[in-house]
Amino acid sequence: MLKKLFGSPVGKKLVTGITGLGLVGFVLLHMVGNLALFSGDQAYNEYSEFLTGMGPLFYLVEAGLLAFFVFHIVTGIKIAIGKRRARPVGYDRYQSAGAPSRQTAASRSMIVTGMILLVFTVFHLISFKFGPGGPGNDDVAYLVAYDGGEPIRNMALLVRERFASPLYAFGYTAVMLLLILHLRHGVWSALQSLGAMKPSISGLVYTVGGLLGAGTGIGFLFVPMALYFNLI
Amino acid sequence: MQIKLKVWRQKGPRDTGRFEEYVVPDANPHMSFLELLDVLNEQLIMEGKDPVEFDHDCREGICGSCGVVVDGVAHGPQQRTACCQLHMRHYKDGDSIVVEPWRASAFPIIRDLVVDRSAFDRIIGAGGYVSVSTGAAPDANAIPIPKVVVDEAFDYAACIGCGACVAACPNASASLFTAAKISHLALLPQGQAERAQRVVNMVDQMEAEGFGDCSNHAECEAVCPKGISIKGIATMRREYIKATLSQ
Amino acid sequence: MAALPDSKVPAGRLQEKWDSYKNSIKLVNPANKRKHDIIVVGTGLAGGAAAASLAELGYRVKSFCIQDSPRRAHSIAAQGGINAAKNYPNDGDTVWRLFYDTIKGGDYRSREANVHRLAQISNSIIDQCVAQGVPFAREYGGMLDNRSFGGAQVSRTFYARGQTGQQLLLGAYQAMSRQIAAGNIEMFARREMLDLVNIDGRARGIITRNLVTGELERHIADAVLLCTGGYGNVYYLSTNAKNSNVTAAWRCHRRGAHFANPCYTQIHPTCIPVSGEYQSKLTLMSESLRNDGRVWVPKKPGDPRAPETIPEDERDYYLERRYPSFGNLVPRDVASRNAKYVCDEGRGVGETRLAVYLDFTDAIKRLGEQAIRERYGNLFEMYQRITGENPYKVPMRIYPAVHYTMGGLWVDYGLQSSVPGLFVLGEANFSDHGANRLGASALMQGLADGYFVIPYTLGDYIASSRLEAASTKHDAFDEAENAARTRIERLLSIQGGKTVTEFHRELGHIMWDHVGMSRTREGLTTAIGKISTLRDEFWQNVRVPGDNAMHNKNLEFAGRVADFLELGEVMALDALTREESAGGHFREEFQSAEGEAKRNDAEFSHVAAWEYSGDPSKPVLHREELDFENVKLTTRSYK
Repeated sequence: MLKKLFGSPVGKKLVTGITGLGLVGFVLLHMVGNLALFSGDQAYNEYSEFLTGMGPLFYLVEAGLLAFFVFHIVTGIKIAIGKRRARPVGYDRYQSAGAPSRQTAASRSMIVTGMILLVFTVFHLISFKFGPGGPGNDDVAYLVAYDGGEPIRNMALLVRERFASPLYAFGYTAVMLLLILHLRHGVWSALQSLGAMKPSISGLVYTVGGLLGAGTGIGFLFVPMALYFNLI
Repeated sequence: MQIKLKVWRQKGPRDTGRFEEYVVPDANPHMSFLELLDVLNEQLIMEGKDPVEFDHDCREGICGSCGVVVDGVAHGPQQRTACCQLHMRHYKDGDSIVVEPWRASAFPIIRDLVVDRSAFDRIIGAGGYVSVSTGAAPDANAIPIPKVVVDEAFDYAACIGCGACVAACPNASASLFTAAKISHLALLPQGQAERAQRVVNMVDQMEAEGFGDCSNHAECEAVCPKGISIKGIATMRREYIKATLSQ
Repeated sequence: MAALPDSKVPAGRLQEKWDSYKNSIKLVNPANKRKHDIIVVGTGLAGGAAAASLAELGYRVKSFCIQDSPRRAHSIAAQGGINAAKNYPNDGDTVWRLFYDTIKGGDYRSREANVHRLAQISNSIIDQCVAQGVPFAREYGGMLDNRSFGGAQVSRTFYARGQTGQQLLLGAYQAMSRQIAAGNIEMFARREMLDLVNIDGRARGIITRNLVTGELERHIADAVLLCTGGYGNVYYLSTNAKNSNVTAAWRCHRRGAHFANPCYTQIHPTCIPVSGEYQSKLTLMSESLRNDGRVWVPKKPGDPRAPETIPEDERDYYLERRYPSFGNLVPRDVASRNAKYVCDEGRGVGETRLAVYLDFTDAIKRLGEQAIRERYGNLFEMYQRITGENPYKVPMRIYPAVHYTMGGLWVDYGLQSSVPGLFVLGEANFSDHGANRLGASALMQGLADGYFVIPYTLGDYIASSRLEAASTKHDAFDEAENAARTRIERLLSIQGGKTVTEFHRELGHIMWDHVGMSRTREGLTTAIGKISTLRDEFWQNVRVPGDNAMHNKNLEFAGRVADFLELGEVMALDALTREESAGGHFREEFQSAEGEAKRNDAEFSHVAAWEYSGDPSKPVLHREELDFENVKLTTRSYK
């Protein structure tokens, strides 16, 4: 039954939809968390310490996220391959017929934006999570102690250093713009895939999906831009 | 008015095919797009060339035989219109038009603009019916059906099976076609007995025919001559999930 | 010359004939049905319904269609509705009334027993279709809705928006699809029947051309059902689909099936007028429009004013004026002929002056635009799409167009033609509509024949005939296949100076001018001469491109036009021979002082069945007298 549910054309979309929405939730929290930096370095570092300090629960969430990523990516690739197989010869000229079509640059490029986001995520983990002061990379320079407490990881310092580089700041910004594109189609599409779409609210969901995508992406831009232009 | 045409020519399924360009010097704004092709063909025959083969029959937008991609849009620029009812008044003197067949591996090209859409028949055969043999029916008014329900069922039943949804879909998915029949029958009391089995079998057949997956571009709805809504695809998925979980 | 077979109408009271027929026929044992192959040509309402029903019963069915899918048969284009004597509206309808209206509508030129059976079966059709999931229009309480149609004073028409034919056909197609998937029907799409194969005097097979590869194929069976529709495309311009043709029926005619009443053609009054020579087909708009639209022309010939600027007292609502009790809802033939008259008087409208107005201004005032949109929205849209004019603002322009052919292959009560084993269903036969068909009756007849008549009558034939074992290697198959091949080769070898379409268009002009809405002795004689000359020229000067071994639409059309060129002449001959006016056949010499059709019951109360003699110009006439034991022949009056 599960094989049928997840292996079929409906199932594939179900998997991408569910995992997609899960990842959206994660990304949204991540974005809000990042904004802690605006409350000062200490708040930011304590927030980071709070998360890693949760221990087994934190690892469980991480494992879940990893699984979501893997399923999301695998089905996404399957769909992209299926698409090539279903139309090996393309059109000489092709254009959208316009509304009610929801075909956009965003919807057409899900596999491309998705792949870039994947590469980015790996790189992002290496530079932050597994960066100086991170697991397996003890570096006392990236530890800080507040009010005589135990030293904790100085994430804020790492973030400040990284985003001082224009390459890093603008590269990150560019990827976040792609994330906006990915979520522009993704959020709405996930809800349609889950079969949850009530016709009367379809337009609303499409708009909300777009706003949510844009909001998340833009939210991520505050930290790097503020840092790069020395605003905080 | 003068119209230039760039038309896909392909002698058979194994031929590689190519575009050829033609000029129709005296098109009339009142003629339909297919009548333009008729005029072109009369010209080609008298020049000793093979006319362009294309499927067509009722020429009033209901049989679903015709269907070509006109300037990159299935059935051409006028929405809710099959290309047999696309009139040349939408064009002006000197325009050029690119004409291509439906492209999908599940719709192999037979010749020029003619494609094989028998995959659709097999999807219907997998469950797109109510199993009621002739003579077994109760009185027509025995089961009242609310007007709103039957109206919605009709919106789906209006599908003409032309294949534009597949042609326009960036993934060449047949989800709108399949969903339309599933939604039509799922709404009606007559369709309940086979409801679960129907959706599972039809979706499986759709996959077996080699159509792509739906990525919710909704391009299908925009080119559908009957304007069938992708909310049917949401219904199909709901039905499928319910059916699979209850199996 | 073979005499016309007996019509085999059962004895007894009219109301009991069908039951007593069913009681007396032989049945085929369920286990034995499996041993019989049945060929069904055509997948419209008649063919689709027959193939599905016979397969359900256990026969092995081979089904053929010229389109790429059985779902595309031209029944799909029927808009308005389907009649049945359900009497749901409680307005006084009965089986008898439906029977009577149909006989009267047909101008007393159909068989009482057949028509009565049709009316009896009508109710079961609606039941069957609803059970299949056909989304007929309903009222808010959930019950089926009915509307009125031309030629009746009760509301007995069931409908599914303006797409009733589509929905009924999809019902039959889906029933077929179930049987195809179950292996009980073997489906052959993109096949054209090119000949009938008779063995020992019985129809035992057909020759088909695979329209993709050009291959000629042999198919054998115990009976052949021809469900190939009408021959309206003989007029070139008609509301028929481009692929609708007479070839299958005509090939059967040449193999011994008599062609009955070919001159009875229905010209539908509400079509979109012709706009130019390039025109490839005409589009009908359901006559249900006449429920709310008012037909008029200016009183003054050649009035150049725009319709909305012509004052009320300068308009002639000619149908309401001449037929006060039926008004705009007179039967089709009457409405069409009157449109021709006013145009002949120079009072036609539009660029070509070959159109009349169908005006909804009053209805919109009375009911509001929204109500009109709900009733006719899709028809209005279609009109606007084709003409570029908005009918909510400007009156529609309409003109009659060839729509349906009441004539067809002669069949007996059991739908069997004069060739044993060849059954003819739906529009392809001549049986139920007499000289004129009422609106919403074609769908009724197609489905009645397919769902509820043929399962019984075919069974009787199978059970009571000794069918010798035969194979496709039989000489008769060789002969038929060779004839088909020779003909194709000949068509391809001429390479003359005119295309198939040019010939077809020319034939159409001759037919429309002389064998159209109004016919004369002189015109018909001229037509016969012209058609025969055109036929000769066709075989000298047609140019068919390409070759046989490919998808070649022009080659398909060439064969069909060649057959139309033979049929057209027989139509004209039939019209010339029938010296009376009846229904769709109007002879100017035979009319009342008020210009109404005048029948000659003493001499022409018969079916004219033409037998092929070997020379298409010299068919042999057989007559089947029509006995009216139950209805009194009156002059049709809709005043």
